[in-house]
Amino acid sequence: MHDWVPILIMLGFATGFAAFNIGASKLIGPKHPTPEKLAPYECGMPPVGDARERHPVKFYLVAMIFLLFDIEVAFLYPWAMALRELRWVGFMQLIVFFAILLSGYVYVWRKGVLDWGRDRD
Amino acid sequence: MMAHLLTLILFTPLAGAGLLLCVPRAQEQAIRWTAAIVATLGFLLSLPLWFRYDFTATGWQFAERAEWIPSIGAWYYLGVDGYSALLILLTTLIGAIAVLCSWAGITERVKEYYVSLLILQTGLLGAFMAVDFLLFFLFWEVMLVPMYFLIGIWGGGRRLYSAIKFFLYTLVGSVVMLLGILALYFHGHSVTGAYTFDVTELQQLTIPFALQKWIFLALFFGFAIKVPMFPFHTWLPDAHTDAPTAGSVILAAIMLKMGTYGFVRFSLPILPDASRYFVPLVAALAIVGIVYGALVALAQTDWKRLVAYSSVSHMGMVMLGMFALTPVGLTGGLLQQINHGISTGALFLIVGIVYERRHTREIAEYGGLSKAMPVFAAVFLIMTLSSIGLPALNGFIGELLILQGVYIVHPIWAGVGAVGIVLGAAYMLWLFQRTMFGTLDRPENASMADLGAREIVTFAPLIALAVWIGIYPAPFIRRLEGTVTRVTARVNPAAQPAVAGVPAAAGPALNDTGAGTGFNPTLVTCDSAPAAGPKPSATPSAPPDFVTIASCADSPSKPAPKPAPKAPPKKPGGR
Amino acid sequence: MTAIGFSRGDLYYLLPELIVCTGALLLLLADVALSQQRQARAAWVAILSLGAAATLLAVMSASETTIARGTFAVDGFAIFFKLLFVMSAAVTVLLSHRYLTIEGGRPGEYYFLVLCATAGMMIMASGIDLIVLFIGLETMAVCFYILAGFLKPNRRSNEAAVKYFLLGAFSLALLLYGMSLLYGLTGSTALRAIATALASGSSGRLLAVAVMLLVAGLGFKIAAAPFHMWAPDVYEGAPTPITAFLSVGSKAAAFAMLLRIFFEGLPAFHLDGLGSVFGQPLGWASFFYVLSVLSMTIGNLAALTQTNVKRMLAYSSIAQAGYMLIGIVAGTPRGVSAALLYLVVYAFMQLGAFGVIVLMRREGVAGDELRDLAGLSSRQPAIGIAMLLFMLSLGGIPPTAGFMGKVWLFASAIEAGYFGLAVIAVLNSALSLYYYVRVVVYVWVRREEPGTPPIVLSRAMIVALAFAAAGTLALGVYPRILFELAQASAASLGRAEPMLGWLR
Repeated sequence: MHDWVPILIMLGFATGFAAFNIGASKLIGPKHPTPEKLAPYECGMPPVGDARERHPVKFYLVAMIFLLFDIEVAFLYPWAMALRELRWVGFMQLIVFFAILLSGYVYVWRKGVLDWGRDRD
Repeated sequence: MMAHLLTLILFTPLAGAGLLLCVPRAQEQAIRWTAAIVATLGFLLSLPLWFRYDFTATGWQFAERAEWIPSIGAWYYLGVDGYSALLILLTTLIGAIAVLCSWAGITERVKEYYVSLLILQTGLLGAFMAVDFLLFFLFWEVMLVPMYFLIGIWGGGRRLYSAIKFFLYTLVGSVVMLLGILALYFHGHSVTGAYTFDVTELQQLTIPFALQKWIFLALFFGFAIKVPMFPFHTWLPDAHTDAPTAGSVILAAIMLKMGTYGFVRFSLPILPDASRYFVPLVAALAIVGIVYGALVALAQTDWKRLVAYSSVSHMGMVMLGMFALTPVGLTGGLLQQINHGISTGALFLIVGIVYERRHTREIAEYGGLSKAMPVFAAVFLIMTLSSIGLPALNGFIGELLILQGVYIVHPIWAGVGAVGIVLGAAYMLWLFQRTMFGTLDRPENASMADLGAREIVTFAPLIALAVWIGIYPAPFIRRLEGTVTRVTARVNPAAQPAVAGVPAAAGPALNDTGAGTGFNPTLVTCDSAPAAGPKPSATPSAPPDFVTIASCADSPSKPAPKPAPKAPPKKPGGR
Repeated sequence: MTAIGFSRGDLYYLLPELIVCTGALLLLLADVALSQQRQARAAWVAILSLGAAATLLAVMSASETTIARGTFAVDGFAIFFKLLFVMSAAVTVLLSHRYLTIEGGRPGEYYFLVLCATAGMMIMASGIDLIVLFIGLETMAVCFYILAGFLKPNRRSNEAAVKYFLLGAFSLALLLYGMSLLYGLTGSTALRAIATALASGSSGRLLAVAVMLLVAGLGFKIAAAPFHMWAPDVYEGAPTPITAFLSVGSKAAAFAMLLRIFFEGLPAFHLDGLGSVFGQPLGWASFFYVLSVLSMTIGNLAALTQTNVKRMLAYSSIAQAGYMLIGIVAGTPRGVSAALLYLVVYAFMQLGAFGVIVLMRREGVAGDELRDLAGLSSRQPAIGIAMLLFMLSLGGIPPTAGFMGKVWLFASAIEAGYFGLAVIAVLNSALSLYYYVRVVVYVWVRREEPGTPPIVLSRAMIVALAFAAAGTLALGVYPRILFELAQASAASLGRAEPMLGWLR
C-alpha cells in the first residue's frame, strides 16, 4: 500500500491543478459568450447537423498520421530509460527504427499529405 | 539400345509430337509426313518385342527400372510379358494406321491433330508397359486429354457432349480406381513394411478377403467403365460415333483393351479371392452386355453406331472368357482382345472411308456399293466375317477358345454367349447386305471412288493379321501362355497343376510342334488335365459357390464333346 | 546473452525478412523519388530483393533452430513456406508489370505493399508464438486490404477492398479471441508451452470454444467453406495479379499458421465430454473434416455455373482449400507433407492460371470472362498449351503437378482411415474437371470473336508464365525433389530447438 501513496499524491495534485485553473479562469477571465463558444466543442465540425456530410480527406489523413507518429515516438521513452543497459546494440536498433519511421515520413511528406496550401485533387 | 527398348518405343511418339510442334502450321503436308514417319518408326521399333521375345523367361522382359519418386516407393519401371507385348505391337500398328487414315479426312488444325494423336499413343503405350501401378495410372489418365481433344475438336455430331461424357465417365471410374490402388499400397506396407507400387510385389501379397472385395470393386469401377461393361457402357456409343475415324479406331482397337488389360494385370492376380467371389456378377454383366449390345446393334440405323454397339457385345465376350478363370477361357479372352482390335479397328476404318466420301453414316443412304467399290466390298467382307467369327479368320479362334473355357465351368453361360455370336452374325451380315448388295440406286453412291493406294496400305496389315491369326494362331497363343499361366496360378490354382507342369518340360517341344498341331498348348494341357491326376478342386480359401467353376480337372467329361465336333472339321478347312 | 534486443544469431536468421522489408522501404522511397517514366524500375527493386531473400533462404535451408527467445522458428517447415511465398511474390511482380501500366497504378506503392505482405507471410511461417503469428497475419492482411482496392476508380475493386476489410477484421477478431482464450487456459502464448500445459491438464469446454474460434478465424483466411463468402467477390474485384497472390500466398501463409498452431500447439487434442462420431473422439480434426467436405463440395458446385473466370477460379480455390484440408484431417506426417506439397503445386498452377487472365487484360478488354478466352490457342498457341496445363493440373490430371499433389492427399486420407473423405474428395475432383475442361474448350475449341484486340506478350509475362508452366509440368513428371522436400519439411515441424554455438 505504501508504494501507491506517491501516485495518490500525484492524482491529488493533478485534480487540484485542473480544478484550480478552471475555477480561476471562471472567476478572473473576461466573458463574451457567443453561440459558437457555448457549443460543446469546436474543432472544425458543427456539432449538430446531418452526419452524412462531406469532409476533406486531409482531415483524417492528418489525424491518422499524427496517431501513427505519436505512438511510435512513445517508444522512445522506454528506450531512453534503458539506454545504458542496451548500449550500442540498442542504440543501433533504435536508429534503424528511426530510419524506418523517417522513410515513412518522407513518403508522407512527398506525397503531399502535409500540404495544406493547394488542392491536389 | 535393346536395354532401353521400351523407353525408346514409349517416347518416340512423344518426341515426334515435340518435333511436330516445330513444323510451321501451314506446312500441312510436311506435318502429315512427319507424323506418318514417326508412327511407322514407332511400329518398327516395337518389332523386337515380337522377334526377341523370350519364351522361357518367367519375369518381365525388356525390363527397365529407374528411380522415380523413391521416397514413396514409386519407380519408373517398365516391362512386358507376352500379353502386353502383343498389345504394344497392336498399339504401334494401329497408331501408324491412325495417322494414315486421317490423311485426307483431317483438314483443319492438322498440327494439333497429329500432336494429339502422338501424345495419345505415348499414353497408351505407357499404360501397357508400366509395371509400377502409379506409373500405370499416370499413363492411364494421360490418355484422356488427347482423346478428349480428338473427339471434341475433330469429331462430328454432338462432339463436345460426347467428348465430355467420355472424359467424365472414364475419370470418375479412374479416380475411384485410384483409391483402390492406394488402399493396396498401404496394405502392402502394413504386411511387408515397405512402400511399393510394384505390381510384381503386389501380386504376392496375401490380402484379407474383406479388403480384397473393396479393392476389387474400386478397380472394377475403373476398368469396367473403360471396357465398357454393360451398365457402364453408355459413353461408348456417343464417343465412338462422334469421334473422327482415327479416334474411333484407337478407341475401339486399343483403349477398350485398357480395361481388360487392367483386369488381367491387376485385378485377377492381385485379388484372386475377390475375383473368384465376383465371378457370377462379372459373368452376368458380361452376358447381359453380349446380348444387349448385339440386340441394340441390330436396331441401329447409323453405321458407326452399329459398330460401336458391336464393340459392347464383343468386349462382353472377352470379359466372359477371362472371368471363366480357366486357362483356355483366359487365353481366348486375351487373344480375342487382339482380334477385336484388328476387326473392329478395321470396321471403323471402313465406316471412315464411306463417311469421307459421302458425309453420312445412315445405313439407308447406301446400297449396292459392291458394284461401285469392289475392292472396298471385299475388304469389308473379310472384316465382317472376322468380326462374326468365321473359321479361318481370327475371330473364330478367340471365340472358340472363350466358349470352350466358359463351357468347362458353366455350360449355360457358354450357351448364352453363343447366342450373342449368332446375333452378331445377324447384325453384321445384315449391315453388309444393306450397304453392299442391292441396287446401286443413288447416283452419288455410284460415283464413289474405290479404295486408293493409301487406303489399301492401311487395311493390308489388318487383313494379313486377321488371316494369320485365323490360320496359324500358335505364335500368338504361345506368347500369351506365360501370362495365362501366371494369372491362373494366382487366381485359380485348382486349374493350375496341369498347366504349370507343362511349360517347363513341354515348352520347347510345343514350340517345335506348334506349327504341326496348329493349336495352343493350353488347350492340350486342359484336355490332359485328367491325366495329371484328379486333384481336390477347391482350395480352402475359395468361396463355396466357386467349387463348380474351380477347374477343368473337375469336369473331364464335359470339354471333350464340345470342342471335338467343332474344332476338327474347321481347322483343316482353315489350312 | 543480452537481456534485451536481438542477438547476432537472431539477426542472421531474420535476414530474409529484413531484406524483404528493406526492399519494401526502398520501394516506398522510390515511389516519391523516381519520375513517372522511371517508375517501371520499381519492379526490379522488388525482384532483386526477393531474389536475395530466396538465396539466403536457400543458404540457411538446413537450419533448425528457434530465435528471438523461442518465439520464432527457423526450420525446414518455415524455409519451405518462405521460399514458396518469395516465389509467389516474384511471379506476382512479374505479372503485375504490364497490368499496372494498363490500369494506371503507382508501381512503387504497389510493390511496397506486395513485399510487406510477403514479409508478413514469412513471419507467419516462422512464428511459434501466438503474438508473433498474429503480427505476421495482421501485417499481411492490412497490405491485402489496400491491394484489393488498389484500382481506385474501379467500383468492383472498392467493393472488394471494403468487403475484405470488414470480413477480414471480423475473422481476425475471432482468431484473437480464440488466442486469448488459449492464453487464459494455459498461461502462455508460446505454442510449445501451450502444448505442455494442455497435455498435463484435461481439456474443458472452454478449450473447445477456443479451438472453434481458431478454426473459424483461420477458415476465413484459407477461404474454406462455410467461411468463404468473401472470396468470390474479393477475387473478382481485386486487381488480377493480386487475386493470384491472395489466393496463393495468403492461403499458404494461413495454412502455415494453421499447421503451426494445431500441430505444435494443440497436438493430439480431443474434446472431452462432446462424445464421439463414428467411434472417433471429437477433436480439431473433426472440425477440419467438416470444413474440408463443405469446401470441396460447395466450391466445386458453385464453380460449375460461373462464367467469369476469376470468379470460377475463386470458387475453385475454395475447393482446393478443401483438398488441402484433407492432409490436416489425416493429421499424419504424410498428411502434413501432402498438404505442403499441394500448396506448392497449387501455387504454380493457380499463379499460372491467373497469369493467363492477366494476359487477357488489354486496353478495352477486361479479359476475365470465359468468352474472352475463346480462340486463345490459335492466337498464342504456347499460352494455349500453358493454360491447358494449368487447368489439367487444377483438375488433377497427369502428367501435371496437380495429379501428384492430389494422389498424395488422397493417400494420406486412406492411410489415416478416412475412406469416406477420400471418396468424397475423388468424386469432387472428377466433378471439378467439368468446369476446368470448359475453360479448355474455350481456349482450344471455340473460335475467337472477330474484332478483339491482339494479345501481346511482354517479356516479364513470358518469364512468369513459362516458370509456372514448367513447374506445373516438371513437378508432375518428376516430383521426386518436391516429395523429399515436403516430407523433410513436414518432419521438421516442432523439432527446432534454441540454437547453440557462436551465433547465439
